[in-house]
Amino acid sequence: MKVSLPVAMGAALLLTGSAVTGLRGQAPMTFIVESPTMTTGRFMPRDYSPDGRNLSPPLTWSGLPAGTRQLAVISQDYGAGRPPPWVHWIIYNIPGDAGGLPEGIPFDPDHPMPPEIAGAVQGNNGWGLPAYRGPAPPLGSVHHYHFAVFALDEELDLPPGLDRRELLLAIEGHVIGQGDMVPLYERQPMNQFPR
Amino acid sequence: MTTQLRGTDVVIVGMGAAGGVAALPLAEAGLSVVGLEAGTWLDQRDFAPDEIRNNYRDWPMLVKKAEQERPTSRATSATRANQIGGHPMMNAVGGTTLHYWAQSWRLNPWDFQVVTETTARYGASRIPYGSTVEDWPFGYDELEPYYDRVEREVGISGQAGNVRGRINSRGNRFEGPRERDFPMPPLRWTAFHDRMAEAARSLGWSPFPGPAAINSEAYQNRPGCGYHGFCNKGGCPINAKNATHITTIPRAVDTGNLTVITRAHVTTLEVGSDGRVTGVNYVVGSNEYFQPAQVVLVASYTYENVRMLLLSKSRAYPDGLSNNHGQVGRHYFSHHQGAGVGAFFPYDLNSWYGLPAQGVAVDDWADDNFDHADLGFIGGGNLWIMSDRRPISAANMGTYGQSRNWGSAWKRFIHENSDRTHGSYIQKTTLPYEDNYLDLDPTVTDPLGLPVIRITGQFKDNERAIAGFMQDKMEDWYREAGAIEINRGGLGNTMGASTHAYGGTRMGDDPETNVVDRWGFSHEAPNLGVLGASVMGTSGARNPTLTSQALAWRTAAHLVESWRDIAE
Amino acid sequence: MTDSNGRRPAISRRDLLRTAGAAGAAALVPGAVAAATEVTPATASPEVAGQGPVGSALPAETAPFVARALTNLTAREAEILSAMVDRLIPSDEMGPGALDAGVLRYIDRALSEAESDAADAYRAGLAALDTYSRYTRGGPFIDLSTVDQDSVLIDVQIGAATGAGVGFVGGSGSFFNMVKSHTWQGMFGDPEYGGNVNFAGWDLLDYPGVRLGVSPQDQRDLEAGQLEPVRRSAYDYGMFE
Repeated sequence: MKVSLPVAMGAALLLTGSAVTGLRGQAPMTFIVESPTMTTGRFMPRDYSPDGRNLSPPLTWSGLPAGTRQLAVISQDYGAGRPPPWVHWIIYNIPGDAGGLPEGIPFDPDHPMPPEIAGAVQGNNGWGLPAYRGPAPPLGSVHHYHFAVFALDEELDLPPGLDRRELLLAIEGHVIGQGDMVPLYERQPMNQFPR
Repeated sequence: MTTQLRGTDVVIVGMGAAGGVAALPLAEAGLSVVGLEAGTWLDQRDFAPDEIRNNYRDWPMLVKKAEQERPTSRATSATRANQIGGHPMMNAVGGTTLHYWAQSWRLNPWDFQVVTETTARYGASRIPYGSTVEDWPFGYDELEPYYDRVEREVGISGQAGNVRGRINSRGNRFEGPRERDFPMPPLRWTAFHDRMAEAARSLGWSPFPGPAAINSEAYQNRPGCGYHGFCNKGGCPINAKNATHITTIPRAVDTGNLTVITRAHVTTLEVGSDGRVTGVNYVVGSNEYFQPAQVVLVASYTYENVRMLLLSKSRAYPDGLSNNHGQVGRHYFSHHQGAGVGAFFPYDLNSWYGLPAQGVAVDDWADDNFDHADLGFIGGGNLWIMSDRRPISAANMGTYGQSRNWGSAWKRFIHENSDRTHGSYIQKTTLPYEDNYLDLDPTVTDPLGLPVIRITGQFKDNERAIAGFMQDKMEDWYREAGAIEINRGGLGNTMGASTHAYGGTRMGDDPETNVVDRWGFSHEAPNLGVLGASVMGTSGARNPTLTSQALAWRTAAHLVESWRDIAE
Repeated sequence: MTDSNGRRPAISRRDLLRTAGAAGAAALVPGAVAAATEVTPATASPEVAGQGPVGSALPAETAPFVARALTNLTAREAEILSAMVDRLIPSDEMGPGALDAGVLRYIDRALSEAESDAADAYRAGLAALDTYSRYTRGGPFIDLSTVDQDSVLIDVQIGAATGAGVGFVGGSGSFFNMVKSHTWQGMFGDPEYGGNVNFAGWDLLDYPGVRLGVSPQDQRDLEAGQLEPVRRSAYDYGMFE
């Protein structure tokens, strides 16, 4: 069962906005986020969208700051949402020694996480689902999809189902590093891809 | 070919909440009354506790006049009006009282004098910009005897809070003084109601049971409520809901002076060269009739009352009956009942059996019961905690972010939590504004080819500010009772169609700004009366039915006393 | 023209239903098929599971679903719809699912009665669901793994399956919501309408059942967890005949 965050913490977030600050207000260091199947600035494969199997894409990271105990990932589109961003995916409690995320993380809470990220849980995306749901921009428009990865200095054991606001609030003060990659997507007319 | 019928003293158009009450004093006084009703008689056998039929299909299935005349709706005159999805009212003898919630509130004294009271306490500048609100032409005290009469004739249960100035803290200490207690004690509370009342008290508020047109014990030879849980949009299978088809209408019929014509679809009113109403045109199936009458009382729903007048064009009234001052359709508003608050509890509420009229009210934040000096609005709202849960609606509950709303995980969620949510009902002061109004839709028509009503209405800053304020209070109350999750609806924008639709034929002394006079009769056509919430100029934070009924009784009583002046 | 003052003539709801159901069936299917799948309003108590009309109007409602033509849907459409509602409310350790509870029959009857306007939306939507499954997951919906079926349904629900060439009319989300709404009605509504077989839906919710009168003691028993649930249709109370 999801644990409610105290109302007062919500007020604190409103004051700090969505900017994530590190320890003692220092800017977190950056590290490298990559994917075996996606590249920043290039179109991602349609299997990561509802034009295909809508699997969560694989990610890898390197050069994490020393003392990284845990990671969190938010995938979001700053070109959608009222207000932006529209959140496609939230996953956290990722073990600090994981080198990345495999493709196709289960969208069903009844299905176990892959062993290398045991303990990871998913938060609620813009559709209110604790799962990855890929890009579905309006036909004919190209959108940018930010996969932001946060390195945390502590094992937080957060409950599943947090939304973006709640997650940012929960990791506030624990972010010691940050990295991201930004692939693109444009909706494909589906009848051009008969299988 | 129109059949000319024999004349009668009074025709009442609509045998519902208001018309069904007005018929009784008229018939008892010996006047010959014809009640025209688009629907039919329904009875206990029609009122199966069946959620699919009541709440998901178009019950009752017999007559669908209201449904065929669904208004169109838009926020402002700059936007396009679309026909609403379904009409909330029904056609039957007894009208929507057959399936309504039956909350039967009096307005509070402040509601009759919003302008005077606000100006005296806070200054005239606090009347919201653009509002056309006026004081009623009389105060609460004038209506009190009629409230009292109707509470007995119809049968209202409740707990008095102010009997002739003596405050009883078990009732609503903010209510206007009443002559005596309710004829029946209030409906019972459940353990959850007790818990919410206790939470209200610990916040320093004054909880009390609400008034209902539901028998809490045997009354008028009918039984007390069975709390079966299908009251919301359902008729009562044991006749414990005091709809007019089992209360005032049969008693009026028993005098021998009321004739109820069912399936009578009234189209227009006829007017003579002297500007007096001569009778009404109606159709039954494909047959057309003209019913002459000395006096006509229109008592259909707000949208239909206004529509009938606007459709009844004549030489004397080229813009519609009683509309030579351009006031028909003006001062319209639908009650702000939205902007709800939902709560999720870590314990079962045991709400399967009960009804929307059973529950805990808090009036501390209603009307002018609290200081508005530092607030950006006038008026307030009534907080209402009720019982209303049935299987399909329970299974459709929001999952508060804890599960997808289908699949195996959801089955576990719903098994655990189907009885753990609650939705509040918060009625709020809603005012009339210059640019909110009813008129005839320029393109959409009913099956007879007559235009339907077009609603142009938007909640303004005052209503939205109340809504946010009341949501805060409601959240405080739920959390005090242990809620672990809260969600809130939007603050409101387009008014849309409502079961609480007011104005359009407003009552007041000034014919320049009102359609009917202080007695409910037209300022222009003296033998035309209007019954229903379309005459009300303010809503308060209350369901309108009891006030409509008290006003209907008062109009009828006035007609009896002044028969010569009005009818001849 | 008037039935004034006397009350209305006695027409029972079941008479109305019977008339409407028969007319709807006759209009939509050839006589032979209509006879084979006749929708018969319940007339006796469903308390005896599988023997009353709630259990007998169609065969095999508590047995595994066998695809066949319904009154309003082809065998192929019925097959896709049954796979869909089976994922919405699966049969699992929590108890019977939508198929066991007769939801398919509920929907089929509804399409002959109150929801007859929705028949076209069902046909178009089920075809689009299948097209979308083939384009995006490589096979017809009924052949996908349950994981892929769920993934498809999520995309249909959130409106993401609304693309060129798929064929959802007015967005995939409205099709999903329509089917979900009818599935919930069939699962949790009164068994009179052909669903909620053996009160599977009410058991899942721990709904204490349809009672015409609930005494103060009943309410206290409910609050103490000691009220025995009632398992009968509203129409088993004789007064609503």
